Amino acid sequence: MDWAWADSDALLIAIRALHFAATAVTAGALIFRAVVADPAARHAGLAIASRVSSSRRLAMIGLAVAVPSGVVWVLLVTMRMSGLSLGDALGADGLGTVIGETQFGQASAVRLLCCLILAACLVFDRVALLRWGALLAALGFVAGLAWTGHAGSTPDPLGEVHLAADVLHLIAASAWIGGLFQLAEMLITGRRQQALTWRGYQFDGIRRFSTLGMVGVATLTLSGLVNSWLLVGSWRGLVGTDYGLLLSAKLVLFAVMLAFAAINKLWWTPRLGSVAQGEPEPTAVRRLARNTMIELALGLMIFAIVGALGIQHPAIHMAH
Amino acid sequence: MPRSFLFALMAFALGLATEVQAHATLDHAEPRVGNTVAAAPHEVTLWFTQKLEAAFSSITVTNAAGERVDSGKTRVSGSQMSVTLKAGGAGTYRVNWRVLSVDTHTTEGNFNFQVGH
Repeated sequence: MDWAWADSDALLIAIRALHFAATAVTAGALIFRAVVADPAARHAGLAIASRVSSSRRLAMIGLAVAVPSGVVWVLLVTMRMSGLSLGDALGADGLGTVIGETQFGQASAVRLLCCLILAACLVFDRVALLRWGALLAALGFVAGLAWTGHAGSTPDPLGEVHLAADVLHLIAASAWIGGLFQLAEMLITGRRQQALTWRGYQFDGIRRFSTLGMVGVATLTLSGLVNSWLLVGSWRGLVGTDYGLLLSAKLVLFAVMLAFAAINKLWWTPRLGSVAQGEPEPTAVRRLARNTMIELALGLMIFAIVGALGIQHPAIHMAH
Repeated sequence: MPRSFLFALMAFALGLATEVQAHATLDHAEPRVGNTVAAAPHEVTLWFTQKLEAAFSSITVTNAAGERVDSGKTRVSGSQMSVTLKAGGAGTYRVNWRVLSVDTHTTEGNFNFQVGH
C-alpha cells in the first residue's frame, strides 16, 4: 500500500491545527469556569446547574476531539520518523521506540495520562476537589504541548526559558481563545434569558472575562516576544523566511483580534449598563456577541497557522 | 456558524499547507566541513541548532575507497552527535548524517574533509 499520504504536510498541518484548537477549547472551558462563570454565578446569587454543565459539556466535546486527533498526530509523526507503514509503525520498532525513546513520544504519553485524569474528573464533576483536579489536568494537557515542538528542542542554556515561555503562551492562548467559545455561548444563551438575576450573572461574567482577556493578552505578548527572540531572532528572519512570514500573518490576525477585544472592552462593556434597567436585549450584548464570534473566527485561523508553524524550521536557523 | 465561514477557514488552512518543508541545520563540525587535517581524527563530532533524538539520529563515515570507517555506534548528547573512527590513512573522507530533532524534524546531509595533503 502507498503510505505517501503520511508524508503529506497538509494532513499533518490539519491534524495539528485541529488538535491545538480542541486542546484550547478543553482547557479554555475549564479556565473560564474557574475564573469567570463560577465566581459570577456566586456573585449573582444564582444556582445555575446548567451553567456548570455547559462548561463541562464543552470540555468533554473538546476532549472527544483532542484525543483522537492527538492519536492520529502521534501516528503520523511516528510514520514520518521511522519511515514505516501504518501497520509496522504500530509495533515496537515504531510506536514503541517513539514513546519510549523520544521527547515527543514521552510528552504525548504524559498528555494522554492528563486526558484520562481529566475525563475521570469530568465524570465525577460534582465533587469540588475533582473540579479543581479537572482544571489542573487540563492545564497539564495544554502545557505538555510545549515539549512536543520547537520550544522543547532549544539547546541549553536557553532551553528552560523557551519552555517556560511556551507553557505560558499555550495556557494564555487557551484561556483567551478557548474561553471565547464559552463567552459566545454565555452571550447567545443570554438572549433567551430574561430574568434579572441571569442578566446580572451575564454582565458580571462579561466583565470578568474582560479582565481575564487582558491578563491573557499581556501574557501572550510577553511570552510571544521571548518565543520570537528565540525562533526568529531578527527582522530578516521575520520577513525573509517562510517561518517569519507565517508568524507575521499570525501577528496580523492577533492584532485584529486585539482590536475587536479593545472595542468590546472600551466601548461595549461599559455600555452594558445596570441590570435593574431591565432592557430585554441590550444592544451592547448583541454587539459583544457579534464581535466575540469574529474574534473566535480569527482565533481559529491562528490555530491553522500554528499547525503550519510547528512543521517549519525556525527562522533563526534559516536567515543566514 | 455560517457555512461560508467554514469554507473560508478550510481554504485558509489548505492554503498554508503548500510547499511547507522543514530543514535541520548543521551548526558546525569537527573536523570542520571541507577542511584538511594533518592526521586521521579519532572521531567526528557534529553540532546542530536543535536538540536531537538518539533513537533516530546517526553518522556514517566512509574513506576515499567508499569503505565504512566509523564504529557504527553514534553517540548523541543534546544537540551534539559523535562517532568514533577506525584508524585510517590520508585521503578524502565523506561524512553522512541523518538526524531527528526533538521537535520531530528529520533531515540529512553530508560533507567531506581531507586527511593529509
